[in-house]
Amino acid sequence: MPHATALLVSLVLLSALLVALLAFRPSVTSTQGGKMFAFVVLFLLPLLCMAMGVNSEVERSKSTQFCLSCHIMEPYGHSLRVDDPNYLAAAHYQNHRVPADSACYTCHANYAMFGSVRAKLHGLRHVYIQYFWNPQPPLHLYDAYNNRECLHCHLGARSFEEGAVHNADPDLLAAVKSNQTSCISSGCHDTVHNTSQLNKMKFWKGAP
Amino acid sequence: MSAEDQLHRRLRLAGTLLAGGLLTEAICLLWARPLAFIVLVGLAGLLVAAGIATYLYSLVSVRHPDSSADVIRLK
Repeated sequence: MPHATALLVSLVLLSALLVALLAFRPSVTSTQGGKMFAFVVLFLLPLLCMAMGVNSEVERSKSTQFCLSCHIMEPYGHSLRVDDPNYLAAAHYQNHRVPADSACYTCHANYAMFGSVRAKLHGLRHVYIQYFWNPQPPLHLYDAYNNRECLHCHLGARSFEEGAVHNADPDLLAAVKSNQTSCISSGCHDTVHNTSQLNKMKFWKGAP
Repeated sequence: MSAEDQLHRRLRLAGTLLAGGLLTEAICLLWARPLAFIVLVGLAGLLVAAGIATYLYSLVSVRHPDSSADVIRLK
C-alpha cells in the first residue's frame, strides 16, 4: 500500500474513532471546549477526510493498473506489451511516449474543457455497463477517437510537423489538425490495440 | 424530553452516521477496485453528508432553555 494511502486511512480511522467517542459521550459538548471539539470532529474532519478520499480515488483511477483490474480489459493490457512497433498503443507504452503508470488515461482522456470530469463520467458508465450489461469483446469507444487527444502531445513536435509522410500531401496536416482526417482510422496509424490478433503476436518481457 | 437530551440524541445519530461513512471510506481506500470508487462516492459520501447535515441541524433546531429570556431582555 502506498504511504499516502496508509496515512489517509490512518487519518480516516482516527476521525472515525473521535466521532464514535462523541457519539457515545455527547455530554462532552456541554462545555465551550467540547462544542469546538464537536465542530472539528463532526464537521471539519469528515469533510477533510471525504475530500482527500475522493481525490485519492480519482488519482488512483488514472493508473494503468486500475484500468486493467477489470477482467474484460486484460487483452488491452496485453496489447501494451506486443513486440511490434506498428502497434500504436504498445509503441507509446514501451517507449514511454506516455507515462507507463497512467497509459490508458493519457490517451483516453478527453483534452477538451472538463475533459477529466468527462473521463470520470465515462468511467462510471464503464462500471455500470460492466455490472449490468455483460459487455463482450471487442469493446468500442462511446465516441469516435478525436485527433485532439493525439495532438495534445504531438502538435508542434518536429517529427509530426516535419515528418515526410505528413508533408507528402500539402493538405494532410491541416486535415489532421482539424480532425477531418483521423490519425488512427485513415489507414496510417490504424493498428492500435488489435486484441483479436494477440494470439499470433510475440510479447515484450518489459524493462528490468 | 429535555432540550439537552434532544441535542444529545441528534449528536449520537450524527456521530453514528459519520462513523459509518468514515469506516466505509477506509474500507474503500484499502479495496483498490473500480467498484470501491462507486461505494466511496455513493455510500460513504451519502452517510457523511447525512451525518454533517444532522449535526448542523442539531445546532440550529434545539432551543436553549434561556433563549426566550434573552429575547425578552433584548426587547
